[in-house]
Amino acid sequence: MIKLFKVKEKQRENAENANGKTPVKKQSAGELRLHRDISELNLPKTCSITFPNGKDDLMNFEVSIRPDEGYYVGGTFVFTFQVSPIYPHEAPKVKCKTKVYHPNIDLEGNVCLNILREDWKPVLNINTIIYGLFHLFTQPNYEDPLNHEAAAVLRDNPKLFESNVRRAMAGGYVGQTFFIRCI
Amino acid sequence: MADTAPSRSRDLDKLLLRAGNLVGPTFEPGTELRDDLQEYARILVVGAGGLGCELLKDLALSGFKNLEVIDMDRIEVSNLNRQFLFRMEDVGKPKAEVAAKRVMERVSGVNIVPHFCRIEDKDISFYNDFNIIVLGLDSIEARSYINAVACSFLEYETDDKPQEETIKPMVDGGTEGFKGHARVIIPGVTPCFECTIWLFPPQVKFPLCTLAETPRTAAHCIEYAHLIKWDEVHSGKSFDPDDPEHMQWVYSEAVKRAELFGIPGVTYSLTQGVVKNIIPAIASTNAIISAACALETLKIASGCSKTLSNYLTYNGVAGLHIKVTEFVKDKDCLVCGPGVLIELDTSVTLEKFINLLEEHPKLQLAKASVTYRGKNLYMQAPPVLEEMTRSNLSIPLYDLMDKVAKDILHVTGVTGQSDKKTSCLRKLRVVFRGVDGVTDMDMAGGA
Amino acid sequence: MAEPKTKYDRQLRIWGEQGQSALEKASVCLLNCGPTGSETLKNLVLGGIGSITVIDGSKVEVGDLGNNFMLDESCVGESKAKSVCAFLQELNDAVKAKFIEEYPEALIEMNPPFFSQFTLVVATQLGEEKMIKLDRICREANVMLIFARSYGLTGFVRISVKEHTVVESKPDHFLDDLRLNNPWPELRKFAETFDLNVPDPVAHKHTPYVVILIKMSEEWTNSHGGSLPSTREEKREFKELLKSKMVAIDEDNYKEAIEASFKVFAPPGIKLALSKVLQSADSSFFPFSIAIGSDLQQIINDSSVELSSTSSDFWVMVAALKEFIATEGGGEAPLEGSIPDMTSSTERYVNLQKIYQAKAEADCLAIEQRVRNNLKKLGREPESISKATIKSFCRNARKLKVCRYRLLEDEFSNPSVPDIQKYLTDEDYSVAMGFYILLRAVDRFAANYNNYPGEFDGPMDEDISRLKTTAVSVLNDLGCNGSTLTEDLINEMCRFGAAELHAVAAFIGGVASQEVIKVVFLS
Repeated sequence: MIKLFKVKEKQRENAENANGKTPVKKQSAGELRLHRDISELNLPKTCSITFPNGKDDLMNFEVSIRPDEGYYVGGTFVFTFQVSPIYPHEAPKVKCKTKVYHPNIDLEGNVCLNILREDWKPVLNINTIIYGLFHLFTQPNYEDPLNHEAAAVLRDNPKLFESNVRRAMAGGYVGQTFFIRCI
Repeated sequence: MADTAPSRSRDLDKLLLRAGNLVGPTFEPGTELRDDLQEYARILVVGAGGLGCELLKDLALSGFKNLEVIDMDRIEVSNLNRQFLFRMEDVGKPKAEVAAKRVMERVSGVNIVPHFCRIEDKDISFYNDFNIIVLGLDSIEARSYINAVACSFLEYETDDKPQEETIKPMVDGGTEGFKGHARVIIPGVTPCFECTIWLFPPQVKFPLCTLAETPRTAAHCIEYAHLIKWDEVHSGKSFDPDDPEHMQWVYSEAVKRAELFGIPGVTYSLTQGVVKNIIPAIASTNAIISAACALETLKIASGCSKTLSNYLTYNGVAGLHIKVTEFVKDKDCLVCGPGVLIELDTSVTLEKFINLLEEHPKLQLAKASVTYRGKNLYMQAPPVLEEMTRSNLSIPLYDLMDKVAKDILHVTGVTGQSDKKTSCLRKLRVVFRGVDGVTDMDMAGGA
Repeated sequence: MAEPKTKYDRQLRIWGEQGQSALEKASVCLLNCGPTGSETLKNLVLGGIGSITVIDGSKVEVGDLGNNFMLDESCVGESKAKSVCAFLQELNDAVKAKFIEEYPEALIEMNPPFFSQFTLVVATQLGEEKMIKLDRICREANVMLIFARSYGLTGFVRISVKEHTVVESKPDHFLDDLRLNNPWPELRKFAETFDLNVPDPVAHKHTPYVVILIKMSEEWTNSHGGSLPSTREEKREFKELLKSKMVAIDEDNYKEAIEASFKVFAPPGIKLALSKVLQSADSSFFPFSIAIGSDLQQIINDSSVELSSTSSDFWVMVAALKEFIATEGGGEAPLEGSIPDMTSSTERYVNLQKIYQAKAEADCLAIEQRVRNNLKKLGREPESISKATIKSFCRNARKLKVCRYRLLEDEFSNPSVPDIQKYLTDEDYSVAMGFYILLRAVDRFAANYNNYPGEFDGPMDEDISRLKTTAVSVLNDLGCNGSTLTEDLINEMCRFGAAELHAVAAFIGGVASQEVIKVVFLS
């Protein structure tokens, strides 16, 4: 290939000052795959998506979920998504921005959803994750708790759990913890 | 045929000046080849760590004189067991600069330009100045980035054959303990990094509820302190794995948790290992893999022997096993594949273009969303993006693509008949008719 | 000076303090410090080898600067050994580095006892005749020996060690010893405290799979006349049975049990469990793998297990292991004691871990007593093998490996003809085998004509035809009459002209240093 290198080097020298175009932004394979995921989103009415950095940054976005049944009906819960350039080799990082009283979401917004960590597979997509998150609100489960207290209440006293959820969503204290209104 | 005076290239001359039988198709032995290698071959080494140090030395002693190296890291004490160009007194200095200086001190006539920065900080055109890019990296992200850059220079003929002068070969090495790999990537010819990204095993991630509720191993306790407890206590302050105080805090929290649950095995060393995902590394494996990569670089440049085709694994864990696998490229790869060639008039609007895709015999793509170099020209969904991009539909595509004569863009849409619709993401090579475009060679130069 | 622990952190994560200390005790002698030898030592010095002695009688020439990083312009005309040694010392001041300006060939001829002071000799770029002599010297002195040679684009690394016993091998895939179909009383009792039909879903999904499999394997054998699932159909049935016990689809512990069910199918005892895992390599002629491997059954039946006053610690422990398997062990090797991570509540997992650990400790204690008795019988200090050594031996008992390397002389005079012929015609190996023959042929060529083929500039036709004849004679001597090598290979070998290319030397040196590390750990 050295001959080729030689030819190119000569041309490079000749064209040293003939640089016209500004360097262009590169799109990573992850961005392209995400473009597909996003353009094919098929969200239920209860979920919506926004792009805080405008239409050209798909790698960071927010999803709002408004459950229409179950304990959390009426609340609005916002999740932030951060997608890596090697998506879908790696799962997006998802956090719950809204402080929520929930057995599978802790007060820092960490979410216990298997497909976000140990069970992530490149064939899954953003739609699957959003449905998974939605599911957490219609069917919170006490078997895989992140918020230990909330899980214990859900297991032992569902009535109390329900009223705790309502109190938290309306803005107020559950035990020592203050929740901001999200209805 | 060779100089009679004592020559530094005494041994290399045997390979470069003599005809051979098992050589590459372009091999033209002679002093001109040796001199051209010195004068015209420009090699970039990405990474100045365990592999990078070895690579610079190996390349400098393999007939190359124009080398550059890029690395954003500074030297740490734990590098010294293998990164042989660094000494204790260099700790804290930029790796690229010290490595370049040391090799130049010892190998006269070699010029090495260091770049102490992130790979993303350089313009794309920076990378196009090199003939071969050699990778000594330890992250998938960085490999993926360089691969995308190198493949972006690749152009195809109208018959989908790669244009030879636009090919930017890469040689990639990687090690972990007693194991390693070396591979040759000739974009458009052999699989690129993205064609075979599945070769990298996904990182193990523990379920958060295991960490929170049922920890069983020392690593569970450490990840609890790192991922859950840290945020709980330091609201807002982000964890810095390179801050020893942060690491110490995670360690002591992990110890407390392990004691609470009666779990043995939390040590400071393990804490660092788990949190920073430290890959064990030894000098010998780096030497082996780098040498293989340097040799392949020499073979690609000179043709002095047949190149590796195309993926070598080395395993010295029990006994010694070397295996070469010939992977095949993904013809539809979004990064290195040719894509579908489409010729357009400059007057075609984005909306017309989207309709054309549906009729195009090779595509038959309905409901296309279009993205061009990070700009989303039109999105079919979700509604919020559709609204933001709708106004582009009436604008000529040529204008939306900054009036370039030809370029790559990507489309997502649906193909197939109504009963069997599948979604797909395609790469397109768009060429505008009648534009007094730049020549192919100038495009290759990133001009 | 920063802590060595930090400096060596990345390698301590592989071989631990014990490996590091073995490395720091080793003294290595290098013969010839061209790039192959220099690069081998460079990797060892960086890792903190105890001491190095560089032996080379030549002076640095300009040509050496083009392939050896340890030399620069200021070294030309100086002793090569001295110059290389000085650079190596710069890499790590914890290493004791010295040099002797002497030709290795002379030492081999004149001063054989010289080599007995080293742990290991790395002999690079030596001709065949001297390799054979050195091999015999080192074998008699019980010094480990590694040959390394770079030649054009080819080369070899050859280990020569009388016996190389591996305790802490870390195989990539190894079947852990969980005794699922053969639990000892404490483990059985623990399993009995569980009810697989427990109504509480949380308890159900946090029952460790080890318990599930112990109970289910017992249930199976009870209903199948005491035998384990063995046919494909039975194995499938067993998995179905496990599946039927699930109460929800997301029960990870049951998924793990199904995935690990093959661990139930292996019959108890060391015999069959092992033969699958360890394969004995018997490619005793091939330059890159000469190990004669063994599995545990072979090891405990080796004649070395009949102890004598000269028996090594390893064999004293193997003898104790053999007794253990026949008595307390009930046909099993000592338990490793570690269990893999599995879905479980913390408390249950920790308790399970304790049961495995207690059994491993008891097994180890039994072996320790037998080791002490054996030592006493041999008239040796009963405490001369440390408890830590015995513990590590027990933990790795099922992974023990013994490699015995043939003498080079034996490899050459008593070759395995069918193997050579097989490799010569095998699509994947014919080139490697061809170079194996040619690497021997060039030494014979040099002995006959006083230079290597293609060593000097000028037309090569004569050398090519001479090398061809020499290669045929090597093949004939090996008993492969009628076999020939391709013109392409012979031409390439002449083109190489005994050049020592830096990248090839760095590769061969890298392999040699990696092998040095591995054999040093086991000495």
